[in-house]
Amino acid sequence: MEPPENTAGAIESAEKIILRWDSTASEEARERMIFDSDRQEIDRYLQAVDEIQRSMESVTVTDDQNKVNGAIQIAMARLEDEFRNILISHTGPVEAESLVESVRSTPRADSTGVDFPEEDYSFEDSVVSKEVEVEFHVGESSSRSSSSSKYQSTTSIREIDLIPSEAIYDLRSIAERMISAGYFRECVQVYGSVRKSAMDASFRQLGIEKLSIGDIQRLEWEVLETKIKKWIRAAKVCIRILFASEKKLCEQIFEGLGTASDDSCFIETVKGPAIQLFNFAEAISISRRSPEKLFKILDLHDALSDLLPDVDVVFESKSAESIRVQAAEIQSRLAEAARGILSEFENAILREPSRIPVPGGTIHPLTRYVMNYISLISDYKQTLIELIVSKPPTGSRYSGDPTTPDMEFAELEGRTPLALHLIWIIVILQFNLDGKSKLYKDASLAHLFMMNNVHYIVQKIKGSPELREMIGDDYLKKLTGKFRQAATSYQRATWVRVLYCLRDEGLHVSGSFSSGVSKSALRERFKTFNAMFEEVHRTQATWLIPDNQLREELRISISEKLIPAYRSFLGRFRSHIESGKHPETYIKYSVEDLETAVLDFFEGYPVSQHLRRRSQ
Amino acid sequence: MPATDNQGSFLNRISIRRNQVVSMDVNHEQELEDLELFQKHVVDRFSDLVTTQPPPPTAADSSPDSALMPADTLLSIAWFRKLLDAFLCCEAEFKAVLIMGRDPTQFAKPPLDRLIPELLDRTVKALDVCNAITHGVELVCHWQKLAQIGVTALEQRPIGEGHVRRAKKSLNTLLTSMTFDDKENNSHGGKSTERSWSFGRRGGGASVNKDRTAGTFRSLSWTVAKSWSASKQIQAMSSNLVAPRGGEPTGLALPVYIMSTVLVFVMWALVAAIPCQERTGLATHFPVPRQLVWAQAMIGLQEKIGEEWKKKEKKGTCGLLEEIQRMEKVSQSLVDFADNFQFPAEAEKVEEVAAQVTELAEICQKMDELVPLQQQVREVFHRIVRSRAEVLDVLDQVGKMSTPVLY
Repeated sequence: MEPPENTAGAIESAEKIILRWDSTASEEARERMIFDSDRQEIDRYLQAVDEIQRSMESVTVTDDQNKVNGAIQIAMARLEDEFRNILISHTGPVEAESLVESVRSTPRADSTGVDFPEEDYSFEDSVVSKEVEVEFHVGESSSRSSSSSKYQSTTSIREIDLIPSEAIYDLRSIAERMISAGYFRECVQVYGSVRKSAMDASFRQLGIEKLSIGDIQRLEWEVLETKIKKWIRAAKVCIRILFASEKKLCEQIFEGLGTASDDSCFIETVKGPAIQLFNFAEAISISRRSPEKLFKILDLHDALSDLLPDVDVVFESKSAESIRVQAAEIQSRLAEAARGILSEFENAILREPSRIPVPGGTIHPLTRYVMNYISLISDYKQTLIELIVSKPPTGSRYSGDPTTPDMEFAELEGRTPLALHLIWIIVILQFNLDGKSKLYKDASLAHLFMMNNVHYIVQKIKGSPELREMIGDDYLKKLTGKFRQAATSYQRATWVRVLYCLRDEGLHVSGSFSSGVSKSALRERFKTFNAMFEEVHRTQATWLIPDNQLREELRISISEKLIPAYRSFLGRFRSHIESGKHPETYIKYSVEDLETAVLDFFEGYPVSQHLRRRSQ
Repeated sequence: MPATDNQGSFLNRISIRRNQVVSMDVNHEQELEDLELFQKHVVDRFSDLVTTQPPPPTAADSSPDSALMPADTLLSIAWFRKLLDAFLCCEAEFKAVLIMGRDPTQFAKPPLDRLIPELLDRTVKALDVCNAITHGVELVCHWQKLAQIGVTALEQRPIGEGHVRRAKKSLNTLLTSMTFDDKENNSHGGKSTERSWSFGRRGGGASVNKDRTAGTFRSLSWTVAKSWSASKQIQAMSSNLVAPRGGEPTGLALPVYIMSTVLVFVMWALVAAIPCQERTGLATHFPVPRQLVWAQAMIGLQEKIGEEWKKKEKKGTCGLLEEIQRMEKVSQSLVDFADNFQFPAEAEKVEEVAAQVTELAEICQKMDELVPLQQQVREVFHRIVRSRAEVLDVLDQVGKMSTPVLY
């Protein structure tokens, strides 16, 4: 136990030191920072503070108490400034030392299959392409290695050291004293305000924008798609690196100092920024639904799902509950949005109103769009299978509602709701196409149209293993049967009457003089056949079957009926014509001519009217 | 919430449509009744919110006879919680009136074909205001913490110079923040900077070139683009509010108008009370025709609040929230005390200060209610989002929304 004078002496000299550094009192005190000086100076000051604090217990006289309190306040005010100063001087934009973005060499197929314009924003002056990885260098040994080496991506939490350990030590010694003097709140305030502006700067670097919900509603979707991509990248960095590192920093400085301070400091710092970060995703989740938004919304949903566990870890404290809740809410809204969009998409197909028949009976843009869309859906199968849980709202076969097709579920037992939806989409697509086919005046063209489109559907399904697996081979068979049926219908519609001209009946007459064939009837037949064929040829050359194989097959099928019939007709009856006048008027075409003519069919081009005459 | 919600309601509405023709008359009666009930409830709830008491005197400007404040003092946190509750109830009823059992094709015809998109636009703005308010509340919490430092310091006995300086520092910071943040975007920015420093430099300020605390308070609060303005949002929300003339076919124009007015009022009151970006020029009255019976209570409230706003606007106000106003007053008084403090303090002075400190402590405690208030604001946010989605759904059904051009 120290003799009173020594204690008093110690207190006095401690006071002196503290007063010397009172920045309200002297210019010199304002100009220099204690913690910029040498270790000795720092230690001296800290010891002085400790001494004064200790003396609080021993001092009894009110006057002395007042002095001591006064000294403590001055010391605390000073320490607060020192604290701030240390923080500020080690808080540049975080990126300067620790985060470097580099270009990854292997491109990944873009989710929508469409090339987005390369985004060109300078982050540390590097040009960033679609796939961006973030690399971390702790401390100053930032070797900017070449882009060929493997990079660690932001797939999991990676804390980085935001502040060098020496500074941490100093900060901690200050915090310790402030907290034990009861100045915890001031400490937290300073800490929070400096770290917050650091976070602000980091956000700017990451390109996180301050858009309002109103702003986002007004932006074009293409613009938003780019922003979503950017946001996903930024969010990963924010949550897994920035916020995690802030948490670590708080722990480094405040842990074990007697209060739940490391927690509240952290929350104080990141709550606002976290909310700001999520505001964007939230705004997207409540935007108006339309089909083209599905895939980016799913991307956002998936990114968020991926991040949620880390959000839960980083924001595990009770006071951060609202952030966790918000993140989860946004995820579920995005899921809902996805479901809504799918529903919207189905409606849109059903109601798609264009009444202009596609020239040439070729593939309708609606068909292409829908099939491309559901191919993409099958790419997102993993997510969507979980999200889509209800069956499509099909009409019931007893409803008699002519505006909605119906679909039997019995035979589709055991399929996932997603698969049912995909099948349903194909059902309503056909339903709509059926309506469109009726716009063609020519029934043959209507059949050709259906054949083309259903065939396209089949090809697309076959072309995607995931899609095929979900649609199922049973339904695929049905579809195949359908386009074959359409082909058959077409043939009947066009060729029955043409071939009718080449039938035997009605040409033979009983009579004594003639050879048994009515020449006039025969001439009629030839004329009719020629006219019909010319018509069909002229018309149907302009029709189009885009698929090479299908076109070939149909032509062959036509030929198989037409050519033998004509050949046999010619063979049997040509002599009768040739023995009469002007045979060439009636026998205009040779078999070869017809064979050649058939090759014109379904090419989508008009042909000249002059067929090659028979060259005999 | 159930994943099937969207699909289910879609089907329900279709079947409702099919049934509509059959039970038209019965439905119509029911609809009228619902409309009347809705109106009546709005009236009731807003009457409830009216208080005839002026804000009670603070201990700072009269004798220390600080009785407990009644919970529903106008523009107090408790009052706002009541207001938001009332809003949620009105909103729920409104949605029922608007959507359930309604023939959706009505939405495609006048006047709804114009009114509904306007309403939707308003809701988007309201959502942004909600977000701004959430951040504003964070700022107020920050002030609460600063005030608490002052309270802790001045509760010490005997009051020493150290305590007083500490309190002064913290309360000065508080007062600076209160004026600074609001005026920051103001055109009289220069003047206010002067004025704020006239509070006296915070004791022990660090070397000037490193002092960025003023700036950091800014970054604490605003997380919207510089161009966003709360007063402009409110302005836009109220600009096309027009009372419907009687006798329109659907009978829905009136409830839409009522609900819109309620929405605008709530948002406006929040903006007036809680600091958020750019509130200069906040409108102080709304074109609600006085003769509308259901609006009387609301108009009364509007006038009171508008008056308060006008009074305070000239000096610059950090927010009309009752607790903020009192906090500002008491803090200023305590700062004055601190400026004139000499150790040892006289007994009566100490007593006076003690009363004020108690009041400040009580205000801080009241401010704990800010957390549930924030949650309520969030609830309002959700509700608006939900209703908006449902209205959009109905519109989609009608096909009035541009059938998405697929290709």
